[in-house]
Amino acid sequence: MKIEIVSADSVMIYLGKMISEKVLDEVQNTYSALKTFEHVIDLTPSYTSILLQYDMLHYDSVNIKEAITKHLSKQHAKYEVKHGKLIEIPVDYTQGLDLQSVADFHNISCQEVIAKHTKQTYRVYAIGFLVGFAYLGKVDVSINTPRLESPRAKIPKGSVAIAESQTAVYPEDSAGGWNILGTTCFDDFHLFEVGDYVRFIDVRI
Amino acid sequence: MSGFEVLQEATWSNIEDLGRYGYNHVGVSNSGAMDEYAYRWSQKLLGNKESNAIEVMLGGLKLKATADVEISVCGADLDFRINQEKKVMWQTYQIRKNDVLGFYGQINGLRAYLSVKEGFKVQKKYNSYSRTYKEQKLKKGDFIPFTPSKSRDIKHVSIPYIPTYSDTLTLHILLGSQEHFFSQSTKEIFFNTNYTLTPHMSPMGYKLQGKVLVTKKGGIISEGIPFGTVQIPPDGQPIILLKERQTIGGYPKIGTVLASDCFALAQLPIGANVQFKEISITDAQNKMKAFYGIFLK
Repeated sequence: MKIEIVSADSVMIYLGKMISEKVLDEVQNTYSALKTFEHVIDLTPSYTSILLQYDMLHYDSVNIKEAITKHLSKQHAKYEVKHGKLIEIPVDYTQGLDLQSVADFHNISCQEVIAKHTKQTYRVYAIGFLVGFAYLGKVDVSINTPRLESPRAKIPKGSVAIAESQTAVYPEDSAGGWNILGTTCFDDFHLFEVGDYVRFIDVRI
Repeated sequence: MSGFEVLQEATWSNIEDLGRYGYNHVGVSNSGAMDEYAYRWSQKLLGNKESNAIEVMLGGLKLKATADVEISVCGADLDFRINQEKKVMWQTYQIRKNDVLGFYGQINGLRAYLSVKEGFKVQKKYNSYSRTYKEQKLKKGDFIPFTPSKSRDIKHVSIPYIPTYSDTLTLHILLGSQEHFFSQSTKEIFFNTNYTLTPHMSPMGYKLQGKVLVTKKGGIISEGIPFGTVQIPPDGQPIILLKERQTIGGYPKIGTVLASDCFALAQLPIGANVQFKEISITDAQNKMKAFYGIFLK
């Protein structure tokens, strides 16, 4: 575990360097333990880290790290993130704005990108960015693609996109910098919970 | 029922408080008043606690009171008038039934806060009165209820505490752990040149324009985003993430702008110039404690 100062009133707690199910368990364990840590304003768990915003009138930048470490050392509850439900999402890949550029980036065909994207069963690692936005991993390493040079001002609701080893569905119109592979009519974004499984199915909508 | 009728809507106006906290883990953006300095003064003048205000961006908002109420107005000069008569900001007023309040146009600054004694009687969601502009904005025909109030005293903010909004600003920035994504020469450009506010300025974030900042790698594993984060996408133009920012993101971050500077930034117009200046964590915390100290008194 590494705790880093990221703003006048927040620290980032890193539990690992790579996305993995083991780190997911670590993050969720630590997140659960931090719920009883006092004078916290907000907690944001993600793939490998937890952002903790604290009340500056109770901690300074030195004693916050000690207080977190001490608090966590007293917590012994360990659990594995539950194996959640499987959610299947139909995707029309003919509507993917960036499908061709992703294929070009890896020097493969669009069909191969689709095959690689639909082959995996993904896990929900975090909910964030927007309400109902599930961060899924991990994307097949051979189609890992960096985020756009500059984020788009508007990505339509239902866009299915990838960034590096992550994939997700945009639950509403939003600015965003991920590569859009396709679009879905799926609209049950409230179903997503950390630990769930997701598969994408190639269809024409 | 007592309240304000919206006779005419503003470019943007909404009910805000300090924001929605404790829901980041389900993707709920903090949101809240963009300029907490003016917001907190509008509350303090009326002795409001955990209340709310109308945030008015630019001009256009016109309201009619259906009962007497004590109000305060703080923040930008948006040509605020009561029954057509020009009034100064940063003080309280006693409004009478049928008075018409209006923000007629932008003169200096961008955002004004209109508070009523004890706050508007509207519903909370996520334990807050704030909504993102995408979720809600005040529209013509809306009715905003309040409890009538009367006061003989006029309270105003004393002159040293009233800011003047210019079109240049120094932003103090705490360099972050992803500093290593940026070479020494990139950091020199970042600290020694001006960046300009572009029309891409929303409560989610402000996109700046200036000399290109080269990052060593395109992205990081997506992680939580503190208020004031400066992220640098591969196009090299910085984005400062503000109140309605996404909870999680993955472009590399060069650091975090001091919150009180972000509040001042919220009053700057398109085309304004900002310059970044490094600050230590100790100085950053001291400055923020001094900021909150004004309102704890």
